Amino acid sequence: MDNKAIQDLQRDSEVVDEEGEQSHYSSDEVHAYSVDEAVGASNLDMEADNGAKLSDLVISDNTEEESTYDLSKESAFQGILEEGGSSIDGRILDEGHQDDIAAVPTSSNNTTPASTESGTLVSDVLDGDASLDDSIHEGPASPSSSDEGTSGYLAGSGSSSASICSASGADESVDGVLIQESNRPARRTWVPGKRHPEEDDTSLSWRKHKKHFFILSYAGKPIYSRYGDEHKLAGFSATLQAIMSFVENSGDTVRFVKAGDHQIVFLVKGPLYLVAISATEEPEQVIRWQLELLHAQLVLILTMGVEKCFVKNSKFDMRPLLGGTDMVFSHLIHGFSWNPATFLRAYTCLPLPHVIRQSTGAALQDMPNSGALFSILMSGSKVINLMSPRKSSLSPDDILLLCNYVSSSDSFRSAESFFPVCLPGYNPTAFLYAYVQYLNDDTCLFLLTADPDGFFQLKEYRGRIETLLRETNVLAEVTNAVRLGGLRVEQLPQPKASTSSQDSKTSSIFGSDSDHELHGSAGVTRQGVAGTGGPAGLWHFIYRSSFLDQFVASEFSPPLHIPSAQKRLYRAYQKSYSSMHGDGAGGPYKMQYRRNEHHVLLSWRTSDFELYAAFDPLADKSSAVAVCNRVCQWLRGLESEIFLLGATPFSW
Amino acid sequence: MSARKRTLLKVIILGDSGVGKTSLMNQYVNKKFSNQYKATIGADFLTKEVQVEDRLVTMQIWDTAGQERFQSLGVAFYRGADCCVLVYDVNVMKSFDNLENWRDEFLIQASPSDPDNFPFVVLGNKVDVDGGNSRVVSEKKAKAWCAAKGDIPYFETSAKEDFNVDVAFQVIAKNALKNETEEEIYVPDTIDVNSSRPQKASGCEC
Repeated sequence: MDNKAIQDLQRDSEVVDEEGEQSHYSSDEVHAYSVDEAVGASNLDMEADNGAKLSDLVISDNTEEESTYDLSKESAFQGILEEGGSSIDGRILDEGHQDDIAAVPTSSNNTTPASTESGTLVSDVLDGDASLDDSIHEGPASPSSSDEGTSGYLAGSGSSSASICSASGADESVDGVLIQESNRPARRTWVPGKRHPEEDDTSLSWRKHKKHFFILSYAGKPIYSRYGDEHKLAGFSATLQAIMSFVENSGDTVRFVKAGDHQIVFLVKGPLYLVAISATEEPEQVIRWQLELLHAQLVLILTMGVEKCFVKNSKFDMRPLLGGTDMVFSHLIHGFSWNPATFLRAYTCLPLPHVIRQSTGAALQDMPNSGALFSILMSGSKVINLMSPRKSSLSPDDILLLCNYVSSSDSFRSAESFFPVCLPGYNPTAFLYAYVQYLNDDTCLFLLTADPDGFFQLKEYRGRIETLLRETNVLAEVTNAVRLGGLRVEQLPQPKASTSSQDSKTSSIFGSDSDHELHGSAGVTRQGVAGTGGPAGLWHFIYRSSFLDQFVASEFSPPLHIPSAQKRLYRAYQKSYSSMHGDGAGGPYKMQYRRNEHHVLLSWRTSDFELYAAFDPLADKSSAVAVCNRVCQWLRGLESEIFLLGATPFSW
Repeated sequence: MSARKRTLLKVIILGDSGVGKTSLMNQYVNKKFSNQYKATIGADFLTKEVQVEDRLVTMQIWDTAGQERFQSLGVAFYRGADCCVLVYDVNVMKSFDNLENWRDEFLIQASPSDPDNFPFVVLGNKVDVDGGNSRVVSEKKAKAWCAAKGDIPYFETSAKEDFNVDVAFQVIAKNALKNETEEEIYVPDTIDVNSSRPQKASGCEC
């Protein structure tokens, strides 16, 4: 469907609105501005100093189904959508689901791999209750799919299988679970180790988890499961393999199955199968990318060479090779719901005064013959500085995965470590060797070499770096910066009548040059509480620089201090990112304005940057756009503190 | 942390429809038997943990449907099997004759690396029926066939009476383990940075 058609449909959906149900739309609107479609309905000129300009924007009402806590409204809402086919299409446009539909080989609605004690390869067909999405999926069946065969399976349903999906009538309660679950304190409280190892597919609690991840071999042997014991789940794993191999037999690959509230996303990587079963309403593309990362994490541990084991011996059991790495995967999966690096394909830096960052660069660079391919100084998941003496490129995903590997285990904290590791983006077929040591609680040094005997050399190198960093007081500065945290929306400068541009150039989150007080409480409260609250209340933002492959996200402040609210916003960002990049239909977009009962989300993409900003649900469009411009201006002035400039390995 | 190595064995059960594959599996895993015949659709999967000598083994049992219309399961389905169990009904000659086909089919589809030594086990089921009076395949005949196929272990079983079931599966596990290929030490390559590097440019191309 081309954009024009979609726009038409959206206009149709507005007509549907006027026929009576307008109120249902008012709280859930999405304004999508297509890149190449520019019909003037409302003119909003947005100009930032980078020259990005948005004009002649199409504003089309659309719907976004995000949360369903209001039962009555939600069902009425679905009613409209089912009535007016055009509005359903409009919705797909923004949900980015268009592709999913074509990619569903098993087109029958509500199929789910039933898993019982006997894990029968039979899918339950739930009667009625065709939810919104299912009614969409019924339409265009994939021509090459194995419909007939699958329905042969379905016909036999009747085993005692309690299906893992719930009927769509249970939407609200499921959402309640989401909120509860996400009330778990996020981030720092991640506990290493296997979750619920006692569970298997017969446990009710196992079925209730919102998001499962599985890795299995193409023979159906389990390799990893997020929840439960892999061996006890051998039957379930066999079921997954049977589904995949059934489709494979017809020369096709199953990519995606929608079953009630659950999405099942499949990814085939040579002899390895990765599967996610999710009730989180994340777009398929987002989940698929998470599976890609999971696979890359596995490659980081073992290299792609592991595939050879399967060529030689299809029975190959990979689990022993991965012994003790459960926590690496579960830590990564945990990161999927709080770390923007997992979907932005960018890394973030610890905000530091420019001079301090320069000192760290000098320290890392001072070693001409160390044999190191990369030296990275990290603080948690944030980069302090990185160098590549050999001018090799290091991808943001490699940084993410390497950092995840190290932070998933506390054993790295207590000793210097030297271990083989593969950087999938650099060379997925071979090992490098990583020397890792924490210099203090907040700072960790990574040195990577190709020399398996490089330990002593790197150890010496580390000693010299550490001395330099201590001498220049950098470590203390880092600790201070960690304590100060990142950008806060409260710091956003107030718009000034005339002299704004000069001011922003010299601003600093660590204090301006005139009062060279780099730290202390002054930095945080300096700018007052401009910009938050009220109709233009900015709550949070993520800014991604396209040239640097770096992003910066503001700290969460009230009302986003609750983990569940953060998770919800984070998922909304993921969805927007996916939609802005044209995964699915309709995109890519230049700008989107989405409103629901929780927030307004403004997404803005230019050739230089992407900005995702969350506002109070009452924020109106023009003031939100104005605030976004101010944010960009502000960040431009802070570039040297929040980004690693110049030394980026991608420009070598 | 899995300090002790656990082994997972993929066991595939094949045989004509109605010979009692599912019943054998249910008897073995769940200690249950039902006289009611319920055709397996596609395949069923059961897991059972057993101790074989000093090793903890998880058997992942693939109970397949006997009907021909499900034979499209094919290559991917048989891939990576550690052992194949062939089942026939001692009271039905045709089910015995078909063992040959099942075995060939398996070897073609699964194409194991060493087909001559691939562990099969043959089970002659339903020996309890009619006190043995209705049986048409003699033990001698069955054993001769097994011997001709490279000494396949043979057991006469009754899923109903739970006769010989455990013993048979114990041998299945044991033979599958025996056939386990020597695991080589996993040594992937190391990057040689001084030779030409096969690395991809990632990120942006500026």
